[in-house]
Amino acid sequence: MKDIREDIAWAKINTDVLKSLENPRKLYWVILFIAVAVFGVGVGCEVYQYNMGLGVGNFDNPHMWGLYIATFIFWIGMSHSGTLLSAILHIMHADWRKPIYRFAEAMTTFSLMTAGLFVAVHLGRIWQIYFALPYPNMRQVWPNFQSPLLWDAMAIFTYLSSSILFLYVGMIPDLAICRDNMHSGWRKKLYAVLSLGWEGTDRQWRNFRMTYLTIACFLIPLAVSVHSIVSTDFAASQQPGWHITSFPPYFVAGALYSGCAAIITLFIILRYVFKFEEYMTKSILKKVARLTFAIAMVWTYLKWVEFAQAWFGHNAHDQHLLIEKATGTYAPFWWMMNFCASVVPFMLVFKRFQTNIPVLFAVSLLLNLGMWLERFMIVAPTFADGFYPWTWDHNQWPSLVQWGIVFGSFGWFAILFMLFCKIFPSVSMYEVKEMVYHRSLETKKLQALQAAGELAAAGKGAH
Amino acid sequence: MSITTLFENYSEFRHRHPDGDVPHNPYKWAMAIDLDACSGCNACAVACYAENNLPVVGREKFANGQVMHWMRIERYWDHDGSEFPERGARYLPMLCQQCEAAPCETVCPVGATNHTPDGLNSQIYNRCIGSRYCSSNCPYKVRYFNWWDYPSTDNVWPAEMNMQLNPDVTVRGKGVMEKCTFCIQRIRGAESDAKTQGRLVRDDGELQTACQQACPTSAISFGNLVDPESRVHKQWMAQQVELNKHEQAKDEEPGGSDLRGYRVYEWLAPYPSIMYLERVRETEI
Amino acid sequence: MSKRHLLALFTNFDEAEKVVTELRNLGINGFNAEKDMIVKSPIEHPEVEEFLGNRPVRVQWFTLFGAVVMGFLMFWLTSAAQGNFFAQMKGGKPIVPFPPNFVLTYELFILGGVYITVLGFLICAGLPARRSPLYSAKVSEDQIGILVQSEESASVTLKSIFTRHQALEIQEEAGK
Repeated sequence: MKDIREDIAWAKINTDVLKSLENPRKLYWVILFIAVAVFGVGVGCEVYQYNMGLGVGNFDNPHMWGLYIATFIFWIGMSHSGTLLSAILHIMHADWRKPIYRFAEAMTTFSLMTAGLFVAVHLGRIWQIYFALPYPNMRQVWPNFQSPLLWDAMAIFTYLSSSILFLYVGMIPDLAICRDNMHSGWRKKLYAVLSLGWEGTDRQWRNFRMTYLTIACFLIPLAVSVHSIVSTDFAASQQPGWHITSFPPYFVAGALYSGCAAIITLFIILRYVFKFEEYMTKSILKKVARLTFAIAMVWTYLKWVEFAQAWFGHNAHDQHLLIEKATGTYAPFWWMMNFCASVVPFMLVFKRFQTNIPVLFAVSLLLNLGMWLERFMIVAPTFADGFYPWTWDHNQWPSLVQWGIVFGSFGWFAILFMLFCKIFPSVSMYEVKEMVYHRSLETKKLQALQAAGELAAAGKGAH
Repeated sequence: MSITTLFENYSEFRHRHPDGDVPHNPYKWAMAIDLDACSGCNACAVACYAENNLPVVGREKFANGQVMHWMRIERYWDHDGSEFPERGARYLPMLCQQCEAAPCETVCPVGATNHTPDGLNSQIYNRCIGSRYCSSNCPYKVRYFNWWDYPSTDNVWPAEMNMQLNPDVTVRGKGVMEKCTFCIQRIRGAESDAKTQGRLVRDDGELQTACQQACPTSAISFGNLVDPESRVHKQWMAQQVELNKHEQAKDEEPGGSDLRGYRVYEWLAPYPSIMYLERVRETEI
Repeated sequence: MSKRHLLALFTNFDEAEKVVTELRNLGINGFNAEKDMIVKSPIEHPEVEEFLGNRPVRVQWFTLFGAVVMGFLMFWLTSAAQGNFFAQMKGGKPIVPFPPNFVLTYELFILGGVYITVLGFLICAGLPARRSPLYSAKVSEDQIGILVQSEESASVTLKSIFTRHQALEIQEEAGK
């Protein structure tokens, strides 16, 4: 099975991908409407919460954080997929990332935008969120740079803006193609402006290549550091279940994990909807599935390291918390998390499932469910069973308002992603051409070698 | 201007707290609570409600865990198989421990909670954006968040009861974190009065926190820890509890110590400013 | 005599390469291969570097400058903001603690590096660019275009070179 056929005509690549930008079918509008409706529910819940206070989320002392922080970390985690494909695999010269990294990078950008919503939603006084920005003011009051939440703010801002820039810069040659082939209208004007007059000159390509490589080299340490910083929200505190040194790599592994699972989900959807079977081939899907399994095992290992630390660490609070996680109020979530995130990935070991689309779709959704539960199981139990016994007296569950906002965020992500897919090419045309070109060169080389070999074998070598 | 300030005071800015070489001067507010004297009457909690404009949240929200008592009386029982298990509760008045190395201070994203030079953990309501990280990090869970907008909620301060609100203390709206302040309004008032008279605050009853004032058994003593004449200072000295240690020398002695003084969660090294005097037990354990 | 543009399109990269080599070796009046020729292609071709000669790419200098400066600035911003008039103590830590400041320095180092790289890219690549007088959408599809600028006298020679190497199309700028 080949990652891509090497005899695809480049003109065909253009037409196939540009076809995805045509006016959408009815189903698109239906799904977009549903996404808007779900997002509307989230907005309604937030407006209610804004007016009444956070008490509507059924928070209390000590259950100070709930679904908002859990889902925030979930969305940040999902954003690491794009960086993994765009940057890490680029530096490793893994060609097979080329047809799929565009939508993954878009997913990164939109996940970060969705995570940003939760930063606002979970605050008690959203209208003063700008206090967290380091702006000079007459009172000389600055945010607290010691706070991990502030490191979060800086890191996520850096990551979001860098992702947007990376996505845009990488899209410039494709925007030029769109400009050249689009009929007149608002779209052609948009592409003409955004492509900055790109014409594929040698000077432009040389600088482009260097820029892409440089930003990729920056994005890799950035992605690792962003989720490590998010993990220090927990690791830099003292609370049992949080004050764990392995949290930074554990969170990064979890992020890559949920990102890869989300890539599989969106891969299958886009492949079906836009008929990208030639480009998003089953061979590439197989590679992504295997990569997901590998990362799942890394994550599982780090999860077991966390359990081992709690169990063997002789810290009574950590041990008590671990037992409570497995047997207490949140136990069903804990067991479901372990099943979805550590057992289900073993489906990806079997070759016949690695290219079975329905199985992969279901598996990827379950993996992401497991990762969301994992985030929840980090946040909630430590509040319920922290240091202080006086606080252990009651269970607390999130209210419908919290759930409404969480689902609303999925609607928001869907809106952004669907808009993206219809305005910008979700497969990188110039990179697929490069992929086809390099493979055809290789095939020609192989054929030349074979021919020479045959000649030599038939004794007609140098004559 | 900030750069010059930074360079001029660089060594001071790199100094960690608490540390012996830069002692508190002239005030370090601390407390000692005698659990043997505490009868669990809750007068301190009620006084705190009155003094600090605490909202009474009502039965439903109390049951839901959204109560606002800055000073709370915790009750603990031994499961010793006695005939009447509900007898023999031990009371622990728990309030903000005003830790010297408070875990809440480092994690507030906007710097709404800081440490004052006189040893208090300050909470600035205007700055708070309600991220609740401070409460997440508090080992004692003594921080209370305004989940609802109590000033506009019915039956919290119904008409004429709002005349009872203390004008020296802010009434907090929704979305801010609050906690015990050692009645900072009283502290500042007493400091200001003393300053106009050219002296420091004396430990003769001119400055009392609301809880200390209300306690019928004088279980709470509050004062200036660095004033050798204050009751609090003498108690801490007698119990051999030092502020800036997370393990006390007296506990290292073989066989333990007979002294009653201890601090809650001292080993987590927040260096709390409240010393509790252990209840004298009725039975051998 | 003013210079006019010619655009030749090739579907075969090898032919285009030969054309470029020939043009570079051509020593006629009215055409200077270094200044008057631009090669346009739908994908980046490392081979183009070989036959066009190595041209320096300066983007990395922007990156270095931007990253270092931004990191440096962030460290001093955070330290000065912490060490200002209020100098608030928090959590028993020094007022100007190094670990948080280093975390933020690192993040802003990367931020500065990425932003300046993009700026450097735009400057070095000359974007946004004015569109060339001659352009074909095929260049973004699957053909290589060679845009040359020459005097009238040289254009005949150039056109013959193009046709000899199987140019699919030769566009000429309209007469003035």
